[in-house]
Amino acid sequence: MKMLNIRTRLLLAALLPLILISSLLGAVFLLARFGDMQAAYDQRNRAVVRQAAVASEYGLFSGNRLQLQALVTGAMQEMDVRWVAILNGRGEVLASAGQSDQAFSLPMSTLEMQGFASDRRLDWLSQPVLPSTIQLDDLFESNGVEATQHPPQLGQVVMVFSRQSIDKRKHDMLLSGGAIGALSLLFGMVLAVVLSRGVIRPITRITQLVERIGRGDFAAVDKLRDQVAANDPLQELQSHIHLMANRLSQAHGELEQQVDLATHALREKKEEAEQANLAKSRFLAAASHDLRQPTHALGMFVSRLAQLPHDRQTGELIHNLDASVRAMQNLLDGLLDISRLEARAVQVNRRPFALAALFDQLQQDLSAQAAEKGLRLRVRSTQLWVMSDATLIYRVLLNLVGNALRYTDQGGVLVVARQRSSGQVELQVWDSGIGIAPEHQQAVFTEFYQVGNAARDRTKGLGLGLNIVQRTVKLLDHPLVMVSRPGKGTRFTLSLPGAVGKHESVEELPKEKPVPDDLRGRCALVVEDDALARSALVGLLVSWGMRVAQARGPADALACLTQGVVPDVIVSDYRLQEGYNGLQLVQRLQQQLDHATPACLMSGDTDPGVIQAAQTAGLTLLHKPVRPAKLRSLLRHLLMEQPPQRATGADLS
Amino acid sequence: MAIVLRSVLLALACALLGGGAWAQVPAPDGVARVLIVSSDTAVVYTQTAEALTDYLVHQGIPRSDIAQSLVSEMTMRLKSGQPPRPGIFVALGSEATQLLAAAGTQAPVLSALIPRSSFEHILRSHGKVVSARLSAIYLDQPLARQLALVHLAFPQAKRLGVLWGAESSDRAAGLRALVVASGLELQETRVTQPQDLPLALAQVLGGSDVLLALADPAIFNSATIQNILMSSFRARIPLVAFSPAYVRAGAVLAVYTTPVQAAHQAAEVTLGVLRGKPLPEQALEPNDFEVGVNAQVARALDVSPDAQALRSILRRLERLP
Repeated sequence: MKMLNIRTRLLLAALLPLILISSLLGAVFLLARFGDMQAAYDQRNRAVVRQAAVASEYGLFSGNRLQLQALVTGAMQEMDVRWVAILNGRGEVLASAGQSDQAFSLPMSTLEMQGFASDRRLDWLSQPVLPSTIQLDDLFESNGVEATQHPPQLGQVVMVFSRQSIDKRKHDMLLSGGAIGALSLLFGMVLAVVLSRGVIRPITRITQLVERIGRGDFAAVDKLRDQVAANDPLQELQSHIHLMANRLSQAHGELEQQVDLATHALREKKEEAEQANLAKSRFLAAASHDLRQPTHALGMFVSRLAQLPHDRQTGELIHNLDASVRAMQNLLDGLLDISRLEARAVQVNRRPFALAALFDQLQQDLSAQAAEKGLRLRVRSTQLWVMSDATLIYRVLLNLVGNALRYTDQGGVLVVARQRSSGQVELQVWDSGIGIAPEHQQAVFTEFYQVGNAARDRTKGLGLGLNIVQRTVKLLDHPLVMVSRPGKGTRFTLSLPGAVGKHESVEELPKEKPVPDDLRGRCALVVEDDALARSALVGLLVSWGMRVAQARGPADALACLTQGVVPDVIVSDYRLQEGYNGLQLVQRLQQQLDHATPACLMSGDTDPGVIQAAQTAGLTLLHKPVRPAKLRSLLRHLLMEQPPQRATGADLS
Repeated sequence: MAIVLRSVLLALACALLGGGAWAQVPAPDGVARVLIVSSDTAVVYTQTAEALTDYLVHQGIPRSDIAQSLVSEMTMRLKSGQPPRPGIFVALGSEATQLLAAAGTQAPVLSALIPRSSFEHILRSHGKVVSARLSAIYLDQPLARQLALVHLAFPQAKRLGVLWGAESSDRAAGLRALVVASGLELQETRVTQPQDLPLALAQVLGGSDVLLALADPAIFNSATIQNILMSSFRARIPLVAFSPAYVRAGAVLAVYTTPVQAAHQAAEVTLGVLRGKPLPEQALEPNDFEVGVNAQVARALDVSPDAQALRSILRRLERLP
């Protein structure tokens, strides 16, 4: 059954009894009235016939047709009379009047008779005419001897009445009764609607109120209470709801207060933690910066030292010294990579490239390291092309293979590329190393996490490799899957979108090309405020055969220019005194020289802002500690391609 | 107890009435010389019975010799096998007459307050004739008296209308003779069927100046009287009737005998029988009468008969005291 809403139900409850009662009453009264009318009609008809019978007695006795005719003519004047006839004792019609088609022929009877022809809506009544008797009370009559004769019937009066008028009156009454019923029903409906509105409105109001309270609008209660009239039938309910809403509101307020307090406490904790993290970062940044300067200088000094002739023992010592410096520099580079990735300072340069060159480079770069540990590094050659950033992928492979070599004591490392039916290309790095226990598999990607290196043996790496890998593949949006079994080995699978090969494509990978050593005799302007670093750098450059002008700061550098020095290349530290930074100084110097002299910046800062600024200015930023080989390679490039327009952001080392 | 009380009361009554009062104590029926049997308890019968008794007592008949009874009592006593044996039965009314005629009593029966037609009907039904054992004093007035009344009241009337029925037609010859003697013209019609009455009435009314009603229940009864009166009134023909009831109903005149008058006549006959005379061999006609006038109808018909004067003249004509 369809559910009725409260308004319809109320209206039905009010109207159904009304309709029922009014219909029943109407029907009962109409029927009673009809009955009365019919009874009155019948009585009147009978009275008319009797009257006619009495009046016709003497006319019948005397056989006076004229009188009888006058009588029937008079009787015709009575209401509803259609036909009148007076019959004598032998059943002969002595007088009649009215429409002959409504005539009735009846047998003589001493009884009053009547009937109804429903087809013509006609009533016929017959009345015997008997002589009226006078009680004589004399001895001649009441002799008791002879049987008293029945007084002979004088005749009979037959009258036909039409129900037309009574039917019409009934019809009219029905109509007026119906009209009155309809009007009263209408009135009742209006009344019911109006009265029910008085109930429904407060209910609707309360429904809305509860709904608003449900939505948390507790103020609605107070607003509504002002509208409520004193005669509201639901005032009590409303006041209870008001009470309830107040309670709810209070509870709600208390809860909010508690939540606020808790949130506040949490926020404080979070800020504390962030502060601590920031402090740690600052400390790390400061420490790494302060570490870079000496390490930078140390690297240069060792590099210069190695260029000098030595005996075998000293040579070995220098070699070990160089290895230690390199490890220290690697640690600093790893930290730098992480900070750059964190700063989103790495730009993705996505394009199709061939994996073959990448693999060749990998083999070339790491075979020595593998050979050192007596491992077999096998990079299976491939013709596949992929769509990605070659530099970043190379960095990922370098880290994964380096890691594999580091954790493998015997056996080897395999690098393969596989074409998948989905069009993806999978790069896989297999090793036969120690493997990673399942409980550690998630943790190995976090910074400085190393399985089984509680002593932090630096020959086992720094624990940054996998973190850098994960950050990089996330940046590239390439899925990386690791499968490892302790004692059996580990397999990393990197999925890349495949690409259509271009055989004429140029070699993408930055590669140290064999270039002629043309640094000799070129002039470099070195700006460095740290005396130790300056002297190491100058010494290195001089050892490469360059002419070097050195300056402690911007003022010195500008002074050099005024002294007539025209540098072929400018090498400047980023952080300088006297209100300039390296970037501004280089621009100033270039402006002064009126020539876009090639320049490079060096910085111990891992600050993403500095990296961004250098990128924007189109200058190569070398991070301290700068490897002498790297510096040399860069200088060669700068002096060769003037001015070099390189995508500096892609340079990670 | 009741018997004792009644004896005491009787003794007291005797003492009050003086010596020789024994003769005046009403005798039980068994020894009464006159037994009056009334048809019923109607006033007319009790009145007649009382008047009869009083008259007889007045004439020296001891009250103890006179007893009264009703038809119902009489029937039971006749059936009981101990019929009363009075010197004479006086039957008041038709039913009493019929009972006694049927019982075949030894004592003579005098019937009074009885219409001629009823008495003749009883005689016929019991195969009897009027004799010294069974005689009657009719209620019906003699034709001559009625004719004389018509003559006196309506001197200018020439034509007399009469309706004859089955019961009355045997008087037609007598009337005709009287009418001829009086110089009137008789307009008569015989009504054999009740349905013929209107037509016959119309005929009679059409040819007469006065309508004389003669008692005949087939013609004049409570059902017909209204229309007859109406017809005669419309025809402006005065109706002379035979009963005070007709005067009340609308007849202009009637000549009739009152119960007291009838009682006196019956008492005289009874006295005669008690003194040894037999009952008259012929039924008697009433010797005293009254004249009734409906003044209302008389005025409407423009006549003004004086009842007392008419009675006096009639009595003088009949040489009655």
